[in-house]
Amino acid sequence: MKPHAFKICQKGDNYVYLLFPFGLYIPIYLSLSEMNFYSKFQMGLLTLFLGLTCYTWAQSPTDELMMPHREICFLGNYEFGQFDEYWEGSTLRTNATIATVKRRTALLMAAYGITDKLDFYVGLPYVSTNSTLPNGGKFAGTSGFQDYSLGLKYQAVKKTSEKGEFSAYASLNFSNRASDYLSDYQPYALGLGTPQLAWRAIAHYKWNNGLYLRGVGGYIWKGYTEAEREYYYNDGSYYTAWMDVPSSWNYEAVVGKWFFANSLRVELNYSGQRSTSGDDIRAYNAPQPTNQVNMDRVGGFAHYYFPKIKGLGVLAYYNEVIDGKNAPKMSVFGAGVTYQFRLLK
Amino acid sequence: MKKHLLYISSVILLSLGACHKDLPTELEFESYQYASLDEDGGEWSPVLISAGSELEIPVPAETSSSAYQSELAMTKSAIQNMTAAQKENLTRWTNNPVVRWNEIALELIAKYNLIPGPNADGTYTLPNPATPEGPPGFPFAHPPYASRALAYLSVAQFDGLIAAWHYKYLYNRPAAYQVDSSIPFAYIKQEIPAYPSDGAVIASSSRKILTAMFPLEAAYLEQKEKEHLESLLLSGEFVSSDVEAGSKIGNDIAAKALARASTDGMKNAQTSKAVSDSIANAAFERFGWKWVNLESPQRPVGLTPLFGKVKMWNVPNVEATRPGMPPVPGSEEYEADVKMLKDYAAKRTLEHRKIANFWQDGLGTYTPPGHWNDFANRFIVKYKMSTLRAARTLAYMNMAIMDGGISCWDAKYYYHYPRPIQQIDGFETIAGTPNFPSYTSGHSVFSAAASEVLAYIFPNEASMVRAWAEEAAVSRVYGGIHWSFDATVGTQQGRNVAQYSINRAASDGAD
Repeated sequence: MKPHAFKICQKGDNYVYLLFPFGLYIPIYLSLSEMNFYSKFQMGLLTLFLGLTCYTWAQSPTDELMMPHREICFLGNYEFGQFDEYWEGSTLRTNATIATVKRRTALLMAAYGITDKLDFYVGLPYVSTNSTLPNGGKFAGTSGFQDYSLGLKYQAVKKTSEKGEFSAYASLNFSNRASDYLSDYQPYALGLGTPQLAWRAIAHYKWNNGLYLRGVGGYIWKGYTEAEREYYYNDGSYYTAWMDVPSSWNYEAVVGKWFFANSLRVELNYSGQRSTSGDDIRAYNAPQPTNQVNMDRVGGFAHYYFPKIKGLGVLAYYNEVIDGKNAPKMSVFGAGVTYQFRLLK
Repeated sequence: MKKHLLYISSVILLSLGACHKDLPTELEFESYQYASLDEDGGEWSPVLISAGSELEIPVPAETSSSAYQSELAMTKSAIQNMTAAQKENLTRWTNNPVVRWNEIALELIAKYNLIPGPNADGTYTLPNPATPEGPPGFPFAHPPYASRALAYLSVAQFDGLIAAWHYKYLYNRPAAYQVDSSIPFAYIKQEIPAYPSDGAVIASSSRKILTAMFPLEAAYLEQKEKEHLESLLLSGEFVSSDVEAGSKIGNDIAAKALARASTDGMKNAQTSKAVSDSIANAAFERFGWKWVNLESPQRPVGLTPLFGKVKMWNVPNVEATRPGMPPVPGSEEYEADVKMLKDYAAKRTLEHRKIANFWQDGLGTYTPPGHWNDFANRFIVKYKMSTLRAARTLAYMNMAIMDGGISCWDAKYYYHYPRPIQQIDGFETIAGTPNFPSYTSGHSVFSAAASEVLAYIFPNEASMVRAWAEEAAVSRVYGGIHWSFDATVGTQQGRNVAQYSINRAASDGAD
């Protein structure tokens, strides 16, 4: 009863969410395979511009795809995002000081089936940012490795009926900085620069005709990030370099369908983030990691598994932030290659 | 497997839980024994008045009088009925509230240090003290504004405390807890007469100065003053007439400080575009260059072009500290600097980045003058200064900082020297380039001036604070927003300016 079990990487759902809030973390979620389980791990890439998280791959901590026992799948992904408007508090504005901010992310991620019901994820993104010319600020962009992520996804429920299949998963993802980037350099910062722990629950229902729905809810605990100054203002004075990065509730809803004998998967998705605390970006001022970053994002995702080349797949996605608070109105396009094979005989 | 997952996640969760930090929102210290009481402090030379005795308060009633005894009973009963919140305030204010009011000033500076953005049509509206609500709200607490607010605050506190010390040792009224041994004292017992309350001088002078500087914070500051005055009674040291007399001195000296402020020239510092253009053109005719703002949309006027004309505290005339001419663009020295800046930008090191950010003190922060007040507060507590000594330290340092700012702004708009981003094609920075000319660097002058006063008052820290000032200066070069000569010449300029304040300090009777 695992029709797709060996094609995991070949049919995944990938979505990537990128949220770049201004320059901070973008977590990217990826989901890859078609089979289910744990894929929803967050890869842990977060970018915060103010803190969004996005995963980009399939087989991620946030989807329902599971790797078969001892199979491994790699994702190589490139993503381009940009924004020229952002929400200062709840007010959408432009800012000629930064003009259009561009963000490019190259991600390498792997998913491994520890058992048929438990997947392990690891990922590392490289990010570069800059403003378009001309701009009034003359700020240098930056680049470097962002946050590594490690995760597990467990398939807790799988029930098959005449009409389809229901499955449910729990995932846990940990991420933390992989380089000495400065999270306080907004909106160009590579990430939030703080340890993050994402807990997620995923429910998935697939009809026999290939149509499916998926819902994900999660809480992302975010720790402290260290700035390079010993004082900052966050609705009051703080005499420390440490900034408390607001944690958040994150959720998403997905509708998708498998086509061509399970060789193509297409999805439409919505995702949201609601930070549990934080201050607003002040008037005409730079964002900082303490900001409350909320956002709503919609996008589409497709993953194609080459029927004639075992294990190989390609994916592409697009999404954009449609509403937010202290967040960039970012639009993102990404494309990647997945390759899956049996690691141990 | 489920157990495993549970186990792993529990471990992670626990380890993260252990990471909770209490982030400090003020300097943490408890009440302490002053290193010196300075019984003769009332005879020191003040800044705004001729002598401490110039501020008058009533002769206090004898402690045996019924008037005093009834005040004592009120103090006693207030202490007995103290709420938990009042007790917390008492601990927070400590026996050196000079530091706490300085922190309130720093907080307001950071809150108001926001540069007005452009209007939809590309124009800019500047904050107007006549309509402080704005938008944009008044003030824009930029570094010159901050230096001035801190100088008036500290000078008023210092003069007021000299007056307080004068009457304390003239009348020698004992503290409430000494008159009635059943009254508990919240702080460390020291032999300082209670009339008038030094804390009340600080509370009322600070509230009045800061309300003038930050008019939209009037209600907040009124609340802080009330809370502080109440805690003075609850401390067990004072009765209400002690507090009222201190408050009177505070209000009277603040009025004198604000009278000086109203005519010091600050109201003319932000000019019209016509005046600004004529200043730029004068420099262009004199030197062949002029700074221009490169923001988008372009700001029509630089920041406070006439701050260099503001009345100085201790320097006889601003030209006395004006530095020599900067290198002519195209000269060998200039080209060497261009190369250095390009090299720094091409290979930015982590060390340079950290230094640039540590000293940046940019928009939304307490500014460089605020950073040096932060340092001074730490030294004040470390060296266990009394309220009087603390106010003196901050007064001389903040006078030197403001004089440094005035001298620096004089040079900035006299020479009108372009910034690196204006001169070097495609040059990018890691710090924001401010809206005023390059030469000399404000950070360099503020920091050198502050560090020299601190070196004078805390000789054990001299080499350290001077090294800090030099690092603050070069941080601007690492950030890409200043030439190296802006920093080095600015550092010397700040030292020169500070010497005038140090000379005054050396002869005020305290050392």
